[in-house]
Amino acid sequence: MQALQVLFPRHDCTLLAFIVVLPLIGAAINGVFGKRLGREAVTLAGLSTVFASFLLSVGAFSLLASYEGEGAVRLYWRGWQWMTMSSRGGNSFPIEVALSLDQLNATMALVVTGVGFLIHLYSSKYMEEDPGFYRFFAYLNLFIFSMLVLILGDNLPVLFVGWEGVGLCSYLLIGFWFHEEKNAAAGKKAFITNRIGDFGLLCAMGLLVYYVGALDWTGIEGGAQNLLQTIEVWPPRILELAFPDASRTGLMTPVSVTAATLICLALFLGAAGKSAQIPLYVWLPDAMAGPTPVSALIHAATMVTAGVYLVCRLSAVFVLSPAAMFVVALVGALTAVFAASIAFAQNDIKKVLAYSTVSQLGYMFLGVGVGAFTAGFFHVVTHAFFKACMFLGAGSVIHAMHARIHDTDQSQDMTFMGGLRRYMPYTFWTFAFAWAAIIGIPLTSGFFSKDEILIKAFSNSIVTPSLSGGEQAFAWPTWAGPVLYGLGLAGAVMTAFYMTRLFIRTFFGEFRGWKIVKNFRAHAHGHDDHGHDHHHHEKPGVEHMEGPTPHESPWQMWLPLAILGGLSLVAGFLNAHLFHWVAFDEWLAPVFSKSSKFVESAHHGEGLFIALAIAATTVGAGGAYYVYVQQNGAPAHQLATSAPGFYALVRDKWRIDELYEATVIGAVDTLAEISVWLDRWIVDGILARLTTAIVAGFGAALRLVQTGRVQAYAAVMVVGLGGLGWYFLMPRAEARTVENHATGAYSVTAAPGFGYSYRWDANGDGKWDNEKFSDRSEVSFNLNVDQTRKVVLEVKNAFGRVAEKEFTFQRPRPDRSGATGTTVIDVERDAKGQLRGQPRKPGGAGSAELPAGHPEVTP
Amino acid sequence: VNSVARGIFDLLPYLAVFAVGAFVPRRQSAAERFTIGFVAAFCLFMLRALWPGTGGPESDITSEPGFLLTALIFLPIVGAVLLLFLPRQSPVLLRRFTYGVLALDFIGSLFLLRAPLGRGWHFQHIVEWIPSLGIRYHVAVDGVSLWLILLTTLTTPIALHVSLGSIQNRIKDLCFAFLVLHGAMLGAFVALDLFLFFVFWELLLVPMIVMIGVWGGVEKIKAAYKFFLYTMAGSMLMLAAILYLVWTHTKLEGYPTFDYLALSRLVLPQPAAWLVFFGFFIAFAIKVPMWPVHTWLPDAHVQAPTGGSIILAAVLLKLGTYGYIRFCMGMLSGPAWQAAATLAGVAIMGGIVYGALVAWKQDDVKRLVAYSSVAHMGFVMLGLFAANEAGISGSILQMLNHGVSTGALFLLVGVIYDRRHTRLVREFGGLAKVMPVYTALFIVVTMSSVGVPGTNGFVGEFLVIIGTFVSQTLGGNARVQAAGAAFGVVLAAVYMLTVVQKMFFGPLKNPKNYHLNDMNTREIVAITPFIALIFVIGWFPNLFLDRMKPAVAVVVERFQDGRRAYQENQGNTVAVMQARRGGPLERGYPKNPNDKIEALDEGAQAQAQAEQKEAP
Repeated sequence: MQALQVLFPRHDCTLLAFIVVLPLIGAAINGVFGKRLGREAVTLAGLSTVFASFLLSVGAFSLLASYEGEGAVRLYWRGWQWMTMSSRGGNSFPIEVALSLDQLNATMALVVTGVGFLIHLYSSKYMEEDPGFYRFFAYLNLFIFSMLVLILGDNLPVLFVGWEGVGLCSYLLIGFWFHEEKNAAAGKKAFITNRIGDFGLLCAMGLLVYYVGALDWTGIEGGAQNLLQTIEVWPPRILELAFPDASRTGLMTPVSVTAATLICLALFLGAAGKSAQIPLYVWLPDAMAGPTPVSALIHAATMVTAGVYLVCRLSAVFVLSPAAMFVVALVGALTAVFAASIAFAQNDIKKVLAYSTVSQLGYMFLGVGVGAFTAGFFHVVTHAFFKACMFLGAGSVIHAMHARIHDTDQSQDMTFMGGLRRYMPYTFWTFAFAWAAIIGIPLTSGFFSKDEILIKAFSNSIVTPSLSGGEQAFAWPTWAGPVLYGLGLAGAVMTAFYMTRLFIRTFFGEFRGWKIVKNFRAHAHGHDDHGHDHHHHEKPGVEHMEGPTPHESPWQMWLPLAILGGLSLVAGFLNAHLFHWVAFDEWLAPVFSKSSKFVESAHHGEGLFIALAIAATTVGAGGAYYVYVQQNGAPAHQLATSAPGFYALVRDKWRIDELYEATVIGAVDTLAEISVWLDRWIVDGILARLTTAIVAGFGAALRLVQTGRVQAYAAVMVVGLGGLGWYFLMPRAEARTVENHATGAYSVTAAPGFGYSYRWDANGDGKWDNEKFSDRSEVSFNLNVDQTRKVVLEVKNAFGRVAEKEFTFQRPRPDRSGATGTTVIDVERDAKGQLRGQPRKPGGAGSAELPAGHPEVTP
Repeated sequence: VNSVARGIFDLLPYLAVFAVGAFVPRRQSAAERFTIGFVAAFCLFMLRALWPGTGGPESDITSEPGFLLTALIFLPIVGAVLLLFLPRQSPVLLRRFTYGVLALDFIGSLFLLRAPLGRGWHFQHIVEWIPSLGIRYHVAVDGVSLWLILLTTLTTPIALHVSLGSIQNRIKDLCFAFLVLHGAMLGAFVALDLFLFFVFWELLLVPMIVMIGVWGGVEKIKAAYKFFLYTMAGSMLMLAAILYLVWTHTKLEGYPTFDYLALSRLVLPQPAAWLVFFGFFIAFAIKVPMWPVHTWLPDAHVQAPTGGSIILAAVLLKLGTYGYIRFCMGMLSGPAWQAAATLAGVAIMGGIVYGALVAWKQDDVKRLVAYSSVAHMGFVMLGLFAANEAGISGSILQMLNHGVSTGALFLLVGVIYDRRHTRLVREFGGLAKVMPVYTALFIVVTMSSVGVPGTNGFVGEFLVIIGTFVSQTLGGNARVQAAGAAFGVVLAAVYMLTVVQKMFFGPLKNPKNYHLNDMNTREIVAITPFIALIFVIGWFPNLFLDRMKPAVAVVVERFQDGRRAYQENQGNTVAVMQARRGGPLERGYPKNPNDKIEALDEGAQAQAQAEQKEAP
């Protein structure tokens, strides 16, 4: 270990870069050259890189473990500076492409690469016959890469690379069999729903830059105290502008929240998108359209837990906002119950597992929401084992069913399964282990992890932080514990019921798929070769179809099952509070040392909770046993027939998809239609068409004049010349006046014209100054304050016609209220004919006051 | 061991390039493959070795060849003239000549990278043109225009290459149009004299209209007219604004000049400032285009040939945003600052959201991409309105990104149009089965357009959104506006993924699509630079951001200075000149012609003195 510490120093741990980059190399090889490489080489490239990454993760984990006792140790690898961000004050700070490893993501990296490798191994057989084999492995490797970037990233933007990267891989893999419209649509739905979450994450990053000025983990934790300032979020500024006089009551009552609450809710929107929580869970069940290993890896074990990881990662921020934590816990608990209720009525094995995943993710959020970060994260780990095991087991079953039923949906339908325990012993036993874990049979991993969450849900509460402004922050309600616990316990009963139902309907009873015929010879076909040109329109079922004995899967498929099944059984002892074995708690303690200060825990006796948990498991599983084994499904049938509407409602997933279709999607759709209409008829209509019409109208009117007849033109010309002549004949007495009230200097300059001569009455005595017309075109004079002067100008032109004009001047009292002497300039030409301006003091000869808005110079 | 590991890690890019070079081409011998791979790795090595560091000292500015920019601008224009003397009958010669000129221009433009771009102007070249009107030939480059020049010199050859693949008639005219357009675009990006800028701005209209009108689609004439009239309306307003600025400067300083450095010192009073600002802004908004003057764009794009669309999207639209940074923010900071919040609202609602919604409902792929341009350019404008370093550098980067990803999208749409002669989405479906490489490339470009992290689109949008979040200029609404812009990211995914799903996924229904050929070598070669840039900008944006950083800081400073001066001058009805700042930013400031004349003309001086005495 000492050697490792020397080889990979703490602040330049290249090991991390290799963990991340190896799967990317695999993806590049498979993506670019896969088609030419052949199946074996693709398998080799895909599996070896992930396995090497797993080994390096183990190395990094042990390296980290060797620093034990040194508190919160973090290993860093800094790649390069990615971009430069500016914060609120205008300071800029760099965002680096950097990775860091601490106890939290070291554990997660082990799970991702470990479970990831097992699922790669499984896929190498499961996808064997698929023509897109190389594409599948390229995507899968790319996914591992993105997931590792997500968990190892040292700041939010790098995490976001992985965050959207896994979303992209999920999109590509859900739509892997793209020639079916349904799969492609499911992929798109997943991507867009995730994007809504990503919108939250983007907003959170913006707010963090605004309030904290950092995006890396250390910086955020360091500046978290800034998040306790309050922000008024209601009423919005636009309402205030619209109703400036409205009293601040009723709808306009101001609502303030802390920055922490805002940021945490935005982050939780992101987490809810990725981890399929209410209201953004709808994509996950549809995502089952992807190949089953994908469902196991991405949509059960790893990617969907990224939201929980995010909350754990930023636990120091989340605990500052009891309100946000309460939302997280409540949404988690509600999702756990709600998703479980849908799982009751599903017949598709993968759909049941999908809703079960949503429900289990709800538990994880319940855990982290009440501040039990270790418990929530422990459930992430155990859930990765048992849910991956269940999905792979289901894949194994589907693989077997697919031997005869080539339709994707029907091969996953539990109606046609049953009794598979006899034909597929390995699958059965491993599935049984995972089933035991998920329903919480004592001493299995799920028992320990779920039980811990439920206890904490009852006893934990979040400390109300003291706000900087002295305002009252949200306080954790006293009823929270019992309510959250009650929801969780109800969910546990439901989980036990529907999981037992699935288990019984798949593995027990009689086989219902087809009539088993010894030595049945099927015509050549490929597993999962979903080119449905050769669609079998045979209806499955014992009466309609014959087929071979369902077969057990090859070792590449059952070995991962065995390992995961084994882990589902024993992994719980890593954190068995019942026996006070808390290795996992201790391992993660440094990560949550800051946040645990904000979590209060009341102590209750554990015995009662454990008894209740065991009771819940017993009631749920026993109920299912009674309904589906003893009564052979009769009560369920009865319920379905007596309340068909209700049954259909549950079967149709409470019609939430339809609700969204009608409200959100419909609204956006309508908005888009309106926009298109506006664009076409209003924007383009007014700017282009109306303008064109106006110009064309003028053109048309003027064209009427352009007749081409010389007589008409001549007539117009005569009229025009006549007008011109009249203009020349008549003199115009026009003049420019310059008034300077400050000095009392006034002048009048008459406009020049053809043969003009002038006479003036400048002294205001009512008589001409000079009876004769002269070429004196300007008069100037001075006035005293309050003096008025009337000036008369008469102009005679070359034809002897005269015109007269009168000007009145009055010098007002000087304005003493801080008059500033503005320097005005005028323009004249100097000897060289160059334009030049000369600044002049007020009152200078020939100065002119310019109208407002004209350029002038201040001295 | 760690250093060895680090070394291996540093070697990875070379290995990757080697692998791509060696293994992607088919039908070559092992030795040839090795050589190609080695050459590819060596090129990467050279590129990394030659890539200059961050902005260095300003001192060695004298060693910059001033004629380089002039050579870059006039090489294609002179080339276009020479092209006229080549025989129309030999298209091979015409092609080679044009490629040669553009290649030379591209290589020449790479030398711009060698200069340590600091705060001032570089590669400045000034020649007196019409001294009596203060018009000079004044070109220079800074960190803002540098990347736009490189984008131009990279995009035009690609667009020409694409065009020559699908256009068979009037090759000579096409090459001529491309060369003139190229020169004019470069000129407009580097002109620091408003008259010169206007000349180039108008000059590039001509070849573009010819390109749409001659080689365009069914309604090409109508589209060309619309494009021309919209742009011309803006140009006239801009011309009036320019003339007013020059007139004011003449009044204040006594001599006319069209020089940007001199005119940017002007601080206009209220109503005049607004009128001049809108004169410029409307011209640029039409070019960008911003809502509601965007409707020429879809028409022009749909009718333009693929090469024209690529240039239009990649470079021409950038003139609007570039003009806004340079002229509106640089010369009219006051109104730009006051209008920022409102205009940011227009950019978000009219650009990002409305553009995306309209794009979603288009059934012509090219029209969809055109509306997506409106949305993307909304991001660019938003970053400029935010007016802080993150916002502006994000905007400039987003200009490059939009050039790369939208250029690539138009290229890809052209590929399918060449095969099917239709762009209607409903004609396609399930293309992934027959054209896997095309599909893969289309998805990569889509992800870049949607802004998935790891591609270029993310970096630009992220910088713009964060820049908006912390913007002081936008005031109290900044965070709401930033959230609105961030929501545009969701809508981008909606329209792009919808079209991808409809075109490439689902069953292959239309019999006409059963036997489509996948991308050929020519098309792959054309798109490779775009694809490479998508990832290079996505992962190493600092290569670009570092070079523009000092210039962006200067833009922000000048903007803040200008708005402060404007605020101080508010309530005043007169124009004033800001004090000269000195320093590298004023290198090349026009001389006052009167300085010399006054010294000679004693009579005029005496008269002025007498008048000064006369005044009390």
